[in-house]
Amino acid sequence: MLHSFFISLVFVTLIPILYAISISLSSSNSLVSVDFSFIPKKATLNNYLILFKDYPMLLWFRNSVILAVLTLVLSLSVSIPAAYGFSRMKFLFKKSIFQGLILLNTFPAILSMFALWRLMSNDSINLVNTKFGLIIIYAGTMTIFGIMNMKGYFDSIPIEIEEAARIDGANDFQTIWMILLPLAKPAIIVTGLMVLIYVWNEYIFSITFMTGNDNFTLAVGLYSLQAGETSGSWPIFAAASLVTSIPVLIIFLSVQKHMISGLTVGGVKA
Amino acid sequence: MKERNKLLKPIYFITPALILIGLIVLFPIIYTVYISFTNMNIYHWFNFKIIGFANYRRALFILDSGFISAILFTFLWTVVNMVLQMILAFIIANLLNHKLMKFKGLYKTLLIIPWAIPGYVSILLWRTGIFNTQFGLLNQWLVSLGFEGKLWLSSNALAFMSLTVVNLWLALPFMIVIIDGALQSIDKSYYEAADIESATIIDKAFKITIPLIKPVIAPAVIITIFTTFKQFDIIFLLTLQPGAQTGSTLHTIITYAYENAFITSNYGYSSAVSTIIFIILVSTTLVWGRRKRGLAYE
Repeated sequence: MLHSFFISLVFVTLIPILYAISISLSSSNSLVSVDFSFIPKKATLNNYLILFKDYPMLLWFRNSVILAVLTLVLSLSVSIPAAYGFSRMKFLFKKSIFQGLILLNTFPAILSMFALWRLMSNDSINLVNTKFGLIIIYAGTMTIFGIMNMKGYFDSIPIEIEEAARIDGANDFQTIWMILLPLAKPAIIVTGLMVLIYVWNEYIFSITFMTGNDNFTLAVGLYSLQAGETSGSWPIFAAASLVTSIPVLIIFLSVQKHMISGLTVGGVKA
Repeated sequence: MKERNKLLKPIYFITPALILIGLIVLFPIIYTVYISFTNMNIYHWFNFKIIGFANYRRALFILDSGFISAILFTFLWTVVNMVLQMILAFIIANLLNHKLMKFKGLYKTLLIIPWAIPGYVSILLWRTGIFNTQFGLLNQWLVSLGFEGKLWLSSNALAFMSLTVVNLWLALPFMIVIIDGALQSIDKSYYEAADIESATIIDKAFKITIPLIKPVIAPAVIITIFTTFKQFDIIFLLTLQPGAQTGSTLHTIITYAYENAFITSNYGYSSAVSTIIFIILVSTTLVWGRRKRGLAYE
């Protein structure tokens, strides 16, 4: 009983994905056939070959990787020191600044997207349709999350450990680099993965800001590949969707447990 | 010298982050508020002027402006989705924790796969694979059973149903995981005691399980309420894509603000709507934060 319930639940849940897998492996003209089955009669990788040969899939993939990695580097290099500062140091208005950041984080970025677009398309700034523009947008958006997520973790590391290092003659840099960062590794890794996943999963800023073919990310590419009621190829689109999903799926499933605690502890759902 | 150093040090640590956040997050918000007081639109791209609260009056007091109905729809959407989500997640998580359950880990992993796939990819797959009028699965099945295919995303009622199904599909994995975690924190002896008193399943759920998991899941539930309230992707990608609108007129407040900025180019008006939404979100966060101090962010 219980098992048949869960087997059907899993099946119903996975239908959209199973269908995409099946259609991406089928020869492309069978898509309107009535005798549809989840296991294609003649499996072929043809759609994947077409995707990589006739479409700039590799370029899109590369652009997404570049954006994700550079965003990761930029946002961690500003948010780790800031999280440390908020956790360990005393300064004026510390509490109000932190609460201000929490409030800013409730603001859906999409609501100020027009303002940002207008600022960045300004002739003297001109960051629309550049990777740098999108990287600073992503990094800026994720920095608040990074600070909140890692500050909590820094708070849980006993300050005595640092004091002991200082008594042994370590300077600030050594204490942070050799003592604190290794201890905070789990929080840093979770934050880093969240940044990677955020960039990989983001589409509205990239379809709005990346208008030139050379800068298309996977999201923009996939958006342009969509099969409408009359145009586009559903099997190719399904193949592209799966290729896009696989990296995130692997990361996600392999760090499932950390992900969940990282999300609930940080208090932010991506 | 040493004292001065101590005072300066925090500046080195937090300033880079604050500059980045200031430029990318804070300044555009301030600029949005500024635009909301102007008549900026496609005809007044450069020569716009300050028009006071006119955009706000149009949003709040002119009933057919669409904003009021977007607010009402957003509340309805949030309530319907949260209720369904809590009930379904509660039942599924409880079944997962049933004492006769085997392979729990495997089922859990399979069930959270929707959470692990990029949201926009899943939504586009739903749009094409399930709801498309010709090769969507729903219509293929209807046709093969001898019925007529339906336009799943065109009329508001069907569209609302379709959007809700996709939202549940995307959101349930997170909630199941949260409730599952909370259930495991309950001491089993409560249920043993209840069994001795021969309590029913319903009694046990309402008198033991729900009161005990409530404080544990509260932060996640609050976050999910906000996420549902701020939903944009599902409605935009399924029904409102430029050039591929399906005909449903459902708008959450966020898709409404987007449409007025990027589709109909009423930049001033859209910014006023954005500002109102921001005020709603900030005040609920503050009220909530005061009542359950720091709950969602500790």
